[in-house]
Amino acid sequence: MIRSKFSILKNSIYLLCFMFLIHSCTSAPEKVQHKAYTVEIKDMKFQPAELTVQKGDTVVWINRDIVAHDVTQQPDKTWTSSPLTMGQSWSLVATQNADYYCSIHVIMKGKLVVQ
Amino acid sequence: MKKKNVIKLFTAIVIACAIVISLPVFSQESTKLTDPEIASVAVTANQIDIDYANIAKKKSTNADILKFAETMAADHKAVIDQAVALVTKLNVTPKNNAVTEKYLADASKTKKALNSKSGNAFNKAYIDNEVAYHKAVINAVENVLIPDSQNAELKSLLQNVLPVLKTHLEHAIMVQKTISK
Repeated sequence: MIRSKFSILKNSIYLLCFMFLIHSCTSAPEKVQHKAYTVEIKDMKFQPAELTVQKGDTVVWINRDIVAHDVTQQPDKTWTSSPLTMGQSWSLVATQNADYYCSIHVIMKGKLVVQ
Repeated sequence: MKKKNVIKLFTAIVIACAIVISLPVFSQESTKLTDPEIASVAVTANQIDIDYANIAKKKSTNADILKFAETMAADHKAVIDQAVALVTKLNVTPKNNAVTEKYLADASKTKKALNSKSGNAFNKAYIDNEVAYHKAVINAVENVLIPDSQNAELKSLLQNVLPVLKTHLEHAIMVQKTISK
């Protein structure tokens, strides 16, 4: 009787260990936490002018100037924000390196480095 | 030389020195602008560049000139809108003054000259004027309007406008290089 109870207990422990092992092997990999970064458009400059992020991170550009700006990929214009008036913002999920500029004020340039 | 003549000469030199020394102070005080006058200069200077841009949009077919003119019209309108909102808030009425009149008189001559030209001669005249005009306005904002302004919000607006004007100047110089080729 005692031996039988001990056997049940032993089997239960084995089962628990087996279930734990299975769970450990089959659970999803830890989710990567993506960050959000802000580039201020201020005093007619992208600040910071160069930003390094991880793939999948979000970059938000916000216009603090009194004149409108945009954020446009250079040289092919593969992506662009619409003109952003004072206080407006626009965001992009970073997937690859990019040079960009303001197509309204063409001397304003920025760079996105994706790691 | 007689003693009387020496005294007269000395007196004349002293008076001349006194006039020369006091002139800059007098001139600085007499040209100091009030906030309503600064508001008038700011709105006028911006409107003049919008007028130049509108002439360019009518007369030029050059893509760089048209793009630059569009930017000038939009940006200077944004500055005027900010200035008008501020003077309305402060209950200030822009006051016409000698600086405003000088800007308007010069602009009248420049507009006449621009309207008399066409083709590349117009493009060159327009962009050369934009370079010269922005240099002059930057100088006025930096050395007269900002130092003279009393109201903190007006001073802050002028300080915010300064980088806009400097960017316009850089852009104008860039376009000027392509037109001169």
